[in-house]
Amino acid sequence: MSVTEQGLLERDKDTMTLNMGPQHPSTHGVFRVILEMDGEIVKTAEPEIGYLHTGIEKNCENKRYIHVIPMTDRLDYLNPPGNNLAFCLTTEKLLGVEIPERAQSLRVIMCELARIASHLVWLGTHALDIGAMTVFLYCWREREMVLDLNEEVSGVRMMTSYIRVGGVAKDATRPWLDGIRDFIDYFPAKVDEYELLLTNNPIWIDRTQGIGVLSREEAIDWSLSGPALRASGVNWDIRKSHPYSGYEKYSFDVPVYQGGDIYDRYRVRIEEMRQSREIVKQAIEKLPAGDYKTPDNKVSLPPRETLDTSMEALIHHFKLVSEGISVPKGEAYVPIEGPRGEVGFYIVSDGTNIPYRVKLRAPSFMAIPGIWELTYLASQEYSCPT
Amino acid sequence: MTGEEIIEKVKAGLPDAIQDTALPQGDAVIFVAPDCLQKVAAFLKDDPSLNFDYLSDVTGVDYLLEEREPRFEAVYLLYSIDHSHSIRIRVGIEEENPSVPTVSELWKGALYPEQELFDMFGFHIEGHPKMERLIMPKDWVGHPLRKDYPLTTEAVTFSYNRDFKSELVKSKPPTR
Repeated sequence: MSVTEQGLLERDKDTMTLNMGPQHPSTHGVFRVILEMDGEIVKTAEPEIGYLHTGIEKNCENKRYIHVIPMTDRLDYLNPPGNNLAFCLTTEKLLGVEIPERAQSLRVIMCELARIASHLVWLGTHALDIGAMTVFLYCWREREMVLDLNEEVSGVRMMTSYIRVGGVAKDATRPWLDGIRDFIDYFPAKVDEYELLLTNNPIWIDRTQGIGVLSREEAIDWSLSGPALRASGVNWDIRKSHPYSGYEKYSFDVPVYQGGDIYDRYRVRIEEMRQSREIVKQAIEKLPAGDYKTPDNKVSLPPRETLDTSMEALIHHFKLVSEGISVPKGEAYVPIEGPRGEVGFYIVSDGTNIPYRVKLRAPSFMAIPGIWELTYLASQEYSCPT
Repeated sequence: MTGEEIIEKVKAGLPDAIQDTALPQGDAVIFVAPDCLQKVAAFLKDDPSLNFDYLSDVTGVDYLLEEREPRFEAVYLLYSIDHSHSIRIRVGIEEENPSVPTVSELWKGALYPEQELFDMFGFHIEGHPKMERLIMPKDWVGHPLRKDYPLTTEAVTFSYNRDFKSELVKSKPPTR
């Protein structure tokens, strides 16, 4: 609106500027979008972020390495094991420690279960937002099983802090392994059930197919990662291109679709849940015996029972608890494939027990400008079906 | 290509622009001056055998406590989707008038992290279309990830403790 010479309000263009958020039920994480609307069609969408900024990078510069791990849980509460792993892998790269094979398998199991749970939350809430209540409840039902498994092995449902520098916090328990076996037998039929509800559902297709299309070139140019990149026809998965934690030992497919729209992102995530279940199945079947953390006592605590008999173990225990791990001088970056895309920590160490600089490569932060410039929320002419 | 091969290739292609190279744990790292950054970045992207078409992240480091010259550094993480290899570019930035050219013309994904560099470190990104704060409020003073920016606690408005000091607690250098 603009004011004319007579002091009257005059409509100068056919679009309306609308504020959405920062507190809006469909933003899932607090950010504000300034929308330019033409009727029901979104013409441009400019995101404004920062409402959830917690300054964790600055905080990390004043905490010991071991104290950073619980903070990485809170970076993304749907994928705590992945964030733990990214931080631990980078620290271990600087330390140069070898991780026992059993610990690597346990890490893979945790990360893939977290990927399943995270995709379930995505699917459930996304379906809820565009009008499918049932799927939401079904997804929450299966996610609850994963959270119970987390509780069994780490004592916590969400902020597990299970993966530690040098290995994992505790060894696998029998109820946990049995629970996972039950889950991987139970889960495939449930994925088929979601697909039965959605994949060929005309309302679902109408509201997702051809919406928010990103071409292969745009997706690469805008540094998208994870399922969003693979739905645009880019065969890129860190687990295949830069394998870590023994992912090269598992046989799994990387789903790639060419459409680049919301529907293909949905299909990528559905297929990834199946593949994650495959990886968990292989890891459980071939779970090696041995240590669940590195025997190097400069990095991980010595076993409790040795403290009474070994002076050396007592000294290591005291030094680790009172001082923490000292990491050699240097800088390193290790990426992992999280549920939302590439998660990686860039750590600069000055040789002390406190990281000099910690930088998180966050997949969602990098993906947001794609909305801003391309306005891919509504890049296609679209209005609500009646 | 392995890290060594990438470094050999870059050195052969641009002998003048590369200040130094390193191979920490097998990762290819090159050191570049700010005025050569765009030339090096374009070479890395366009050379068919290197083909670094994907920018993973841009970040900054403040080496104040290490008393290093120059004080700041910007770090660029690149991948090649087709060749599955990676490289890190480290650009030293002077303390007075910290400025670095943008690489967002080559990789649009650099727009947000470069804006974050301005917000958190106060680097001036030459050629960036939107040089304003991204995460902190628009009227914020200071650049929080600099090492001379104190870690503060928020002032408590109401307290039952009579001797409670509401002034900001300045952070000391962390005890080692």
